[in-house]
Amino acid sequence: MKKFFGFFFRNNSLLLLAVLSAISLIFMKMEEADVIRRISTTGTGFRSAIADKIASYGYLINLKSENDRLLETNLSLVAKILSAEDSLRNEADRLRIISSKAEGLKPFIIARVVDRQFSNRENMLLIDGGRSRGIGTDMTVMTPRGLVGRVVAVSEHYAKVMPLIHADFKASVVSSESGTMGVLAWNGGREDMATVDHVPISSSLKPGEKMLTTNFSTFAVPGLPVGQVVSVTQGTLFSTVIIRLAVDFSSLNHVVVVPLNRDPEKIRLLEGKTESETDR
Amino acid sequence: MKATTFRIAALLVLATIMQVFLMPRLSILHVSPDAIAVLVGFTAISSGRNTSMLTGFLGGMLTGLLSGQIGLLMLAGTGGGLMAGLFQIPEESHATRNVKTRRFFLASTLCSFTSHAIMAIGSNPLALSPAYRILVMGTIAAIFALLLAIAVRFLFMKKSFAD
Repeated sequence: MKKFFGFFFRNNSLLLLAVLSAISLIFMKMEEADVIRRISTTGTGFRSAIADKIASYGYLINLKSENDRLLETNLSLVAKILSAEDSLRNEADRLRIISSKAEGLKPFIIARVVDRQFSNRENMLLIDGGRSRGIGTDMTVMTPRGLVGRVVAVSEHYAKVMPLIHADFKASVVSSESGTMGVLAWNGGREDMATVDHVPISSSLKPGEKMLTTNFSTFAVPGLPVGQVVSVTQGTLFSTVIIRLAVDFSSLNHVVVVPLNRDPEKIRLLEGKTESETDR
Repeated sequence: MKATTFRIAALLVLATIMQVFLMPRLSILHVSPDAIAVLVGFTAISSGRNTSMLTGFLGGMLTGLLSGQIGLLMLAGTGGGLMAGLFQIPEESHATRNVKTRRFFLASTLCSFTSHAIMAIGSNPLALSPAYRILVMGTIAAIFALLLAIAVRFLFMKKSFAD
């Protein structure tokens, strides 16, 4: 017994290391547990509140550039309205608009970006809208220019957004012209470029084509601009497609959060539950 | 003992706030200076390995509470504290001011590199290669920690390193 305690007394550093490492590993293992998620969400809320206060001072200083940005957004919206009116004159376009269920996308929630981390440790955006404004996890985040990312954590007044320039972000995309489909991925490097994977070499995708989100996605609204094809390099089975992203992440001040437009039947099917199983 | 513990706790809260809100604004090549590593380096030479491991662990916990990835940050802090503890100066030693300063710099630098390497192994949000993340970014983090330690040493700790 004396030997046993003597061992621990002599090696107390090793014992402390083992205890601290074990606690850390337990926390890592329980990262998805409800308690840890709740603690993390509270922490995110607190951090966002402070970041919001810090950002508000910079916001006052940058009012002139903010006005310029709003003017630019207005012009972009006017251009979109004109384009939409033009499209409505065409029956085929009208049918396409109806099939993409555009009427189901409202109401949008506008939020301000209060903090942004783009480092080796963390890559996310914090926005000043949370549960109190109807924001929930997995909602699409966009700007008038295109897709920004998706909500991954929500507190009462703030939300954490995983941008599409994150290694874990994937979204199904389709070309506006050739109809080629693929999976959007970001493999590091420049924050204005991404790749589209799983594009067969037989596709007729060409540089300059616009890539949009599809209605296959479980979170993204269909038809959102994602980027424009810069290059298509043919491989053995699939082409390597590089796109320039529609959204400029370096100057992101405001975003629009789109409420979920999920089809429960599709989600059930994707989760592998058949109708008979759900009935049971 | 109580006063030292209180001082370290207060400094830890301050370092965490700096780490979460200020340091990301000073980042270069997606690496930001590690204020907690400098504090861990100081506790390692002044209070020993156990204190530095605990400081790193708690620093990781506080940072994790504010930014997510609690477990990984706690592990990284503990690992950093362990390595910084290699530069511990025993209480009865007659280390000169220069020796203490040198050990403080080395402890902070090694702590930052180690915790950065552990974080790089556990998480890869920027989809970078493991070698780049550990070697290049780890080295930048270590240089940052060294510069921060030099600044802290000559601005705020003039009396802490008396012979």
